[in-house]
Amino acid sequence: MTTAAIEFKEVTKVYRRRLAGQEVPALTQVSFEVGAGEVCAFLGPNGAGKTTSINILMGFLYADWGEIRVLGYEPGDVRAKQKIGFVPENFAFYKHLNAEKLLRFHLALAGGDMSKSAGLIRDLLFKVQLQGYEKLKIGKYSRGMVQRLGIAQALLSDPQLLVLDEPTSGLDPAGRKEVKDLIHTMKQEGKTIFLSSHILSEVEQICDRAIIINKGRLVRMGSLNELLGTGDLVEMVVDQLPTEMEPVLAEWGATIECGAQGVRITMPVARKRELAEKLWAAGCDVVSMVPVRSSLEDLYMKLVGGSEPV
Amino acid sequence: MKIRTIALSTFGSLVRNRLLIVFGVLFVCTVLLMMTPLLGAKAIAKMGQAQQAEAMVMGMVSAIMFFVSGTGSLLAAWCAADAVASEMKSGTILAVMARPVRRWEFLLGKYAGVMLLMSMYVVMMYGLSWVLAWIGGERLHATTWVVLAYPMVRYAVYSAMAMALVTVLHPVVTMGITLIVAVLALIVQPTGQAVGSHWKYLRVPLWITLPSTSLLSEERFLTIAHASVKQTGWLQHLTTLGYGLDYALVLVLIAMWSFHYRGLTRD
Repeated sequence: MTTAAIEFKEVTKVYRRRLAGQEVPALTQVSFEVGAGEVCAFLGPNGAGKTTSINILMGFLYADWGEIRVLGYEPGDVRAKQKIGFVPENFAFYKHLNAEKLLRFHLALAGGDMSKSAGLIRDLLFKVQLQGYEKLKIGKYSRGMVQRLGIAQALLSDPQLLVLDEPTSGLDPAGRKEVKDLIHTMKQEGKTIFLSSHILSEVEQICDRAIIINKGRLVRMGSLNELLGTGDLVEMVVDQLPTEMEPVLAEWGATIECGAQGVRITMPVARKRELAEKLWAAGCDVVSMVPVRSSLEDLYMKLVGGSEPV
Repeated sequence: MKIRTIALSTFGSLVRNRLLIVFGVLFVCTVLLMMTPLLGAKAIAKMGQAQQAEAMVMGMVSAIMFFVSGTGSLLAAWCAADAVASEMKSGTILAVMARPVRRWEFLLGKYAGVMLLMSMYVVMMYGLSWVLAWIGGERLHATTWVVLAYPMVRYAVYSAMAMALVTVLHPVVTMGITLIVAVLALIVQPTGQAVGSHWKYLRVPLWITLPSTSLLSEERFLTIAHASVKQTGWLQHLTTLGYGLDYALVLVLIAMWSFHYRGLTRD
């Protein structure tokens, strides 16, 4: 059995305002696991407790209750941090440094081999498409460039686990695609990726699993197939539908919609072959046939939609 | 290696700090203004009133160095407070602490960076005292290491104090408290005439608790006339510096302990 990359067991965190005597629960008995090699999305509305959870697993905050293990170690343990790459939300850098100097600084902190730093930094900057901007002060970078530099520094020590808090925030569509491609590459390299994002369509494309929290409580978790359903229905688009087939389809519980692109038939997946054969026999052309899955956005809205931030 | 990297980065950030640059410019202007009467003293010496001129120069150099050295204590405190607080405020601490760096290593690196800056300040201060004496037409008769070591230890105490305070308080509050401590430490003497009954009972506990700035002052060794050089034994030097270093060490340990338990989030 492989060790889970991240383990949260009944983690509770309460923010206390001592002077005001207020207690704000940020996390309440949150339990989840992220397996090694998985790409797991951590979803929830603003104030749901995502950043608090990430801060706890990085060792920046202490949980009031519960057990946490990151790569088998306590959060904040340097042995674990050696194998973690982290991109915080709205990454902040020393603005007086340039990309090269910043990456050298982080490499030194990571205990990396400084004699090979020049080549490594060049490769990383190429990977995040910042080649040519090595000498430009980070203070002059655009938001997207800063974010890409953040990803480059996270990759410096060839991490096993990547923790990305809103990695695509502030990026334009092209920048978002680049980050998405980078995550794909890292996924292929077998790295575990734990990412928090609000862009659900991207999450759906990249991630294997999703964990959804709201108001500090775990709402749902599982693989995307489990969450979105494997597809009990299939959607078939045909160029035309003979009228004699309409009662048969109605008997099967199918729905029919006529549109500019053809006739859209949604029906139980068990009958797809039978229907396709009947249509072909009747001289119809099947334009497309795809399983019907609810989108992550639909599920998300169903679970947390309209909830007020905590 | 990690501590050194953080120290150098802290030093780099401090010397580029705009507030510090403005402070430096204002400071130089003030010192230049204060230096003007020294030229007058030189003229007096030329008129054949050597003893009067020497006394005048001594007084002026002493006053300027008191100002420069005292400002150094506050500068040390401000740099230490800012070195930690600015990382928290900007959020750069998150990227640094995500690296395999222990919290005490981070704080020690910050402290070392501040001390690196203060060592430059001390060397500059030493040079300034020579220049001042030279402008006044006199010569300093002070042992170099003493003039360098004493203020360094004093600055080590004040920067450690500010670092310990800033781990739990806002930097402005930290500076306020450090300023009060610095003033109180100057006033409080273990002996002497008590002003009132309350002050009498406060004086001894305060003297024990506060860093003895007068004891750690290099001013008493900054003499111009050779005749007035007081011989201080090695044991006395060691005891005094040991006291200061011990005080700073305790404060650094308190800062590390406090920093270990605080949450690291963007302020």
